[in-house]
Amino acid sequence: MRETTPISPGEFAKFQEFFYRKTGLLFTEAKRYFVDRRLAERMQATGSASFRDYFTLLRFQASGTELQALVNLMTVNETYFYREQYQFKCLVDSMLDEVARTKKPGRPIRIWSVPCATGEEPYTLAIHLLEHWAQVDAFEIEILASDIDTAALDAARAGIYAARAVQYVPMTVRRRYFTELGDDRWQIIPELRRSIEFTRVNLHDRAEVARNGRFDVIFCRNLLIYFDEHSRRQAAESFFDVLYPGGFIGLGHSESMSRISSLFNVRRFPDAIVYQKPR
Amino acid sequence: MPLIRPTPPPGTDPGQAVPAARLDAADPTERRRAALDRAYPDGPAADLCRRLPVENEPAVREAILTALMTIGGPQAVDGLLPLLRSEDAALRNGAIEALQKMDRDVVPHVENLFADPDSDVRIFAVNIVEALRHPLAPAWLFRLVQFERHINVCAAAVDALAEIGTPDMVPALETLTDRFPNQPFLHFAVRLAIRRITGEAEP
Repeated sequence: MRETTPISPGEFAKFQEFFYRKTGLLFTEAKRYFVDRRLAERMQATGSASFRDYFTLLRFQASGTELQALVNLMTVNETYFYREQYQFKCLVDSMLDEVARTKKPGRPIRIWSVPCATGEEPYTLAIHLLEHWAQVDAFEIEILASDIDTAALDAARAGIYAARAVQYVPMTVRRRYFTELGDDRWQIIPELRRSIEFTRVNLHDRAEVARNGRFDVIFCRNLLIYFDEHSRRQAAESFFDVLYPGGFIGLGHSESMSRISSLFNVRRFPDAIVYQKPR
Repeated sequence: MPLIRPTPPPGTDPGQAVPAARLDAADPTERRRAALDRAYPDGPAADLCRRLPVENEPAVREAILTALMTIGGPQAVDGLLPLLRSEDAALRNGAIEALQKMDRDVVPHVENLFADPDSDVRIFAVNIVEALRHPLAPAWLFRLVQFERHINVCAAAVDALAEIGTPDMVPALETLTDRFPNQPFLHFAVRLAIRRITGEAEP
């Protein structure tokens, strides 16, 4: 295995700025070890003799595939119940009260979780609403959960999770919404499984997105970071299409709609920053 | 494997001219939809370019820019370049952002943009070139700083070179401090750029 030359502090600063601008992920000096190891791995894989060579590839490659490969390496694809819980708190403490104020009687509140992967996010949403939103019984609430991966959707419908996925769910809550299967596995109770509609959706297909109707709140967390800039922009247009005026969209902690599109207004609530379609 | 043509959106026939009428509809929702319906490779850029400077609804503007980025090509670039002179900052920034994504089709215009008599246009040209994924972008910016007389254009190019410059550019960057002796902000920018280019630690 060929040794790569170490990355100097100035080179790290240059990389840090570029990577933040492109992805919203900020790696400080404290993360040097994590970043250096991954950069060395990609330099090795691409045959780059120095950081300068590698940075040139990253910066000027027309296809952008190397940047994507690095993003994949720098991000952690882990999903579990109650992940980034502050957004769910924001949903029940701020967003939904605003939605409810303008909702016409008899009209359902519609929430979309995309991508839903194996279901941890939409089930967390449902549990949070049932546990914490005072008006939950006054409205009909529809939760749609979508992913492009049909195997993930099958797993989501089955609703069976390892102990690791439910580790942050308080035991009292767990007892209400899960059945313990043994072998450290937990299954969502049938009533809750039936209350969420799981569908396959390709976000790149506007017509397919539109078929699911319109929404008051969309959660699209940690997905757009894997899209190129143009696809992100097209996804923002699709979200704009299907949100009701005044509807909200929540993104992952490193993602910013302001860097993608000016279609939405920034709303700073006590628990989270979300984006709102103008009324 | 046979070539597969991208499927145009339902209701459009790429073999026929797409009627531009709906882009002028009174309802902004319809105009926005009309713009997005034209967002496919080799779509009708001219209609969108005509509409963009007179469109006042931000969401429709955004959709037109998205469509033009999808369409790309020389016609889209020709329609966007005049907007660099617009007094409307949002429109101008939208045009810059779109042009940054049109690497191949912007290249033939770089030289003219850098020679534009308006220094603001030259600064916007730097903003476009610095984002292009083109191997000649550093060389174009380097040539610009060597001959450019306007300090703000030089400063914009120095900023860009901090990220994409190469060590052979350092001596010429150092001469900028002599050309603009009483401009401490430029001296600071040059020092930072040189540190970034050479990989030196920052104080």
